[in-house]
Amino acid sequence: MGRGIGQFYPGMSPLHALDPRAKILASVGLVAALFLVGSFHGFLLVAVVVLSLLIVSRVPAAAFLRFLKPVSFIVALTFLFQALFSREGNILFEWGWLSVYEGGVSNGAFLAARILLLVLSAALLTATTPPVALTDGIEDLLSPLKKLRFPSHEVAMMMTIALRFIPTLDEEAQKIMRAQAARGAEFSEGGLIKRVKAIIPILVPLTVGAFCRADELADAMESRGYRGGEGRTRYRELKFRLRDGVALLFVVLVAVGGAVL
Amino acid sequence: MRIEVKNLRHVYSPGTDSAVEALRDVSLSVEGGEILGVVGGTGSGKSTLVVHMNLLLEPTSGEVLIDGMDARAMKKSELRRRVGLVFQFPESALFAPTVEEDVAFGPCRLGLDEEEVRRRVSETLGMLGISHLASRSPHALSGGEKRRVAIAGVLAMGPEAIVLDEPTAGLDPATREELLDVVRGLKNAGMSVVIVSHDLDEIAEVADRVCLMERGEAKAVGAPEDVFYEHPENAPDTVRAALAVGERLPGVGRPVRFAETVEVLERVMGG
Ligand SMILES: Nc1ncnc2c1ncn2[C@@H]1O[C@H](COP(=O)(O)OP(=O)(O)OP(=O)(O)O)[C@@H](O)[C@H]1O
Ligand SMILES: [Mg+2]
Repeated sequence: MGRGIGQFYPGMSPLHALDPRAKILASVGLVAALFLVGSFHGFLLVAVVVLSLLIVSRVPAAAFLRFLKPVSFIVALTFLFQALFSREGNILFEWGWLSVYEGGVSNGAFLAARILLLVLSAALLTATTPPVALTDGIEDLLSPLKKLRFPSHEVAMMMTIALRFIPTLDEEAQKIMRAQAARGAEFSEGGLIKRVKAIIPILVPLTVGAFCRADELADAMESRGYRGGEGRTRYRELKFRLRDGVALLFVVLVAVGGAVL
Repeated sequence: MRIEVKNLRHVYSPGTDSAVEALRDVSLSVEGGEILGVVGGTGSGKSTLVVHMNLLLEPTSGEVLIDGMDARAMKKSELRRRVGLVFQFPESALFAPTVEEDVAFGPCRLGLDEEEVRRRVSETLGMLGISHLASRSPHALSGGEKRRVAIAGVLAMGPEAIVLDEPTAGLDPATREELLDVVRGLKNAGMSVVIVSHDLDEIAEVADRVCLMERGEAKAVGAPEDVFYEHPENAPDTVRAALAVGERLPGVGRPVRFAETVEVLERVMGG
């Protein structure tokens, strides 16, 4: 099955039980908090909250590590840039033309930790919310915009379909890669131009296949009576309960606390 | 060329909770000038087995021998040239603007000169009866035509063995017959052929030996009459008819092919 983005881990934790709208808003709140905090203590507060939520979610740690893997390169780069080129505070050590300052290292660590926590907050949301619930929640949150003729149902439907097809596309890409490898294609050899050229035999059939699939899906949806969001009854109804309100309030308090501290 | 797999075992996503043991201790071989038919239910491991034959999938344990040599010791590119592999629904990997260019992809990767590439392309297109499609776009062809283009793309590399995963699935009877004729032609030219199929009648017609897969194991490997008469639940209609008639009348023997069966039945029933 599809690895990486949008991976849902079925579970029974309190986080799984929350209304998707509450979780979406809470994630936005956490992300805002991470941007707002300036002080070390404020940051510590938000960090402790995010890390505790990871434990509460009962999603295996390995799953979160997998979420972090794609961003680890950016995090490392951010840290290195800050550490090597920032000239704040005392000099930690010098080595030839290279001098590393205390401020640089602490700034770098701070920024890196901030990115990691951002990704973890998003991961918390997608790991504890089934993709369909996620898009239902987004549709609902966007629905006030309908008055401004914003196609919130269509946008949500597009997201549902896109999420559904990520694993399919991934599988398809693997198949095509193997088929081309059987014809002598090499994907990991040669210089940049050679590698880009090697992608064409994968990308073309993948795109052609995706368009065919999109056509078929559209036909199938239409023949089963899909006509957009107008007057459509929901199969799943969302319910905002007391615990959702409490969860939201908690996150707001954390965000305010982080900003003030 | 002789391809031999020994005690092959394959586990998908090992060490995770979604681990699947798709192959268990499978051993079999195929010789030059021979067609090995692989049959078995959906999910029995047929595709997993055949992609091991040029090591596009590495076995979890066990080995693949090419003319007695460990395939893992061979150069990957060399191995893939010598053992051609046509996947299930190979038409999904067509990509070039024209049929000609798509078929030329493999030979070009072998570093042949342009003259030789062109010769091979026109030869294989001719062999599969699609020369007239050479300058068409592969995406605008019918399913059967696409299938033949994809097979040509592998044959143009000049393999000594060819492995075909359900090459006739979803084709009309006439196209299927034509394709099976091509497969017989390859065998007569001395190639080792492995063909996977759900169509037992088709395997009965072309295969010299049969491997019956069930839940990741090779339940039986051997001559078609041995395999089919031992496992009548997985036998073609010809074998079932012969078995039904043989219960009452002696001398039916063990016919497998359609023509053979008709001949035998005419003899015991008419005479
Ligand atoms: N990429 C994969 N990851 C995990 N499991 C897989 C993968 N490919 C196949 N399997 C599993 O391995 C088993 C054998 O699959 P395989 O594709 O070899 O069957 P098959 O006999 O070719 O079936 P079919 O007749 O439907 O083509 C199945 O249980 C399948 O679910
Ligand atoms: Mg298969």
